[in-house]
Amino acid sequence: MTIKERGYTHWDGELRDGRFPWWPITRMGIKLTFKRRFFKLFFGLTLMPALVWLVGIYISERLEDFKFMMEGETDFLNVNPLYFKTYFTNEFLLFMVVMIMVFSGAGLISDDLRHNALQLYFARPLKKRDYLTGKAAVIFFFLLILTLVPGVVFILFKMIFAGNFQFFVSYPWLILSVVAYSLLLTTFFAFYTLLMSSVGKNRRYVSILIFGVYFFSDIFSAIFREIFRSQYFFLLSIKTNLQQIGAVLFRQRTPFNIPWFYSLLVIVAICLFAAYLLKRKVRGVEIIK
Amino acid sequence: MSVEIKDIHFSYGKIKALNGIDIRLPQGAIGLLGPNGAGKSTLLRILLGFLVPDSGEGSVLGYDIRNQQSVIRRYVGYMPEDDCFIPGMDAVSFTSYMGELSGMPRQEAMKRAHEVLFYVGLEESRYRFLEEYSAGMRQRLKLAQSIVHDPKLIFLDEPTSGLDPQGRKEILELIMDISSKKDIQVLISSHILPDIEQTCSYVVILNKGELAAEGRISELKQVQYSLYELKIKGEEQAFMDRLKSIDSQLEQTEDKIWKVYLPPGTDPQELFKIAVEEKVQVRHFVKSQTSLEDLFAKVVGVD
Repeated sequence: MTIKERGYTHWDGELRDGRFPWWPITRMGIKLTFKRRFFKLFFGLTLMPALVWLVGIYISERLEDFKFMMEGETDFLNVNPLYFKTYFTNEFLLFMVVMIMVFSGAGLISDDLRHNALQLYFARPLKKRDYLTGKAAVIFFFLLILTLVPGVVFILFKMIFAGNFQFFVSYPWLILSVVAYSLLLTTFFAFYTLLMSSVGKNRRYVSILIFGVYFFSDIFSAIFREIFRSQYFFLLSIKTNLQQIGAVLFRQRTPFNIPWFYSLLVIVAICLFAAYLLKRKVRGVEIIK
Repeated sequence: MSVEIKDIHFSYGKIKALNGIDIRLPQGAIGLLGPNGAGKSTLLRILLGFLVPDSGEGSVLGYDIRNQQSVIRRYVGYMPEDDCFIPGMDAVSFTSYMGELSGMPRQEAMKRAHEVLFYVGLEESRYRFLEEYSAGMRQRLKLAQSIVHDPKLIFLDEPTSGLDPQGRKEILELIMDISSKKDIQVLISSHILPDIEQTCSYVVILNKGELAAEGRISELKQVQYSLYELKIKGEEQAFMDRLKSIDSQLEQTEDKIWKVYLPPGTDPQELFKIAVEEKVQVRHFVKSQTSLEDLFAKVVGVD
């Protein structure tokens, strides 16, 4: 069939100025992530800590039934803000968060850079902030499922298992702590991951960066602490800073002997630095001066 | 006027890419020509709002290039020169995704993606992953994504680059079909002169960031110079020296035919007068059908 026989018809609809022009980017980012090999299995695994904590909440309301398993050790099943803080700042969860970033975030910008796709986005009525919001929302989607959703579910199920609102009445601020910490963690990792994703065109290289910077920040923090005998080198560790802020938000004692707002400053500084670099690096055309 | 720009200047650092360009483009297929580094891609990027000019003003489809880039991009399609796609997607998802980003409702974009992929000849392979596409298929895909939202104007940057002769022919057929029968204006940037000559009626030639020529190809070819083909018998050298003395340019083909470019305003009778004076016989005299290549060489100053 020749081209002319195929025909071309004009579209009679009207192009819309959507309220959320970034939403198609987010939806496609989530879809493409779920299409990645082993991701569904891995994502299921990352929800295991939440399941364990949820079972803990159930057992805490049925202590008499499970006494034979506890051997008197039931303190860790005391569902209170510390219980929540332990979930949100435990190393395994943070490790899973980083792994999710490797799976879902590494290619968000780097794939577009590698395949020259940025010009396709910016040849559309999209602003830079729409593009970045769309990409960041992919990270928000996955991380909020790991943080905010379990936090809210824990509170709800605690009240359901207890059959009363006593828990909510005792800790009315806890839901705000859950929301605040989830948003802080997610926002930080969104900036962190997008920054890493924008510095390279190779997804594997970016994956190593995301993983490496996070863990080496911890290792270097430990080395410098040993050498200089100063607690302030805890500030070099991304994990430590997040744990410090987490403790404050859940009204617990900070695990490290440094002012918590220093940790907040470090986290905010990294986010600002990432925003600055992203603004410079993400553009429709590559300009070589 | 679909595209109108006045006194546009743009520099990459110290390198001046565009130097006072004034263009008013009419409807139809328009060729943007120029050697490498002439400023073609820079001009397209300014028209799309990727780059902001240092000075000057302009409009695309009546929308200001400085303040209304978003609106321009809504009604304009762009086919980039580079190989570009999103990995992990098939052609239908990719094309409908591009439609959605342009502002089409999701279902409409999907329906339309099937239509345009059919139109560009990718109907059989529309569910294949883009990573598996050949260079020719990717060119077609780029064309499909540029027309999925039914733009009023399309910018095509080197649309035939990297294609085999058959692929090139098919893409050019598509472009001609779009520009002549679909009421979509096309601006093609290319350095392949026959492509422009085949598809466009109007041409803009840039050279070193400046406007070298602009107008209808047929008119430009006539206005810029007169080209004649001659075969002569007799003392060639003296005759040619005399022609050079009146600022003609000469070129001899492999068939021993002389191509004589007479300067504007020169009466062709002059040729015969010189022939009589130099005692040479003119055995063949034809006003040559000039090509865009001749025009390009003339205004850009390259062979």
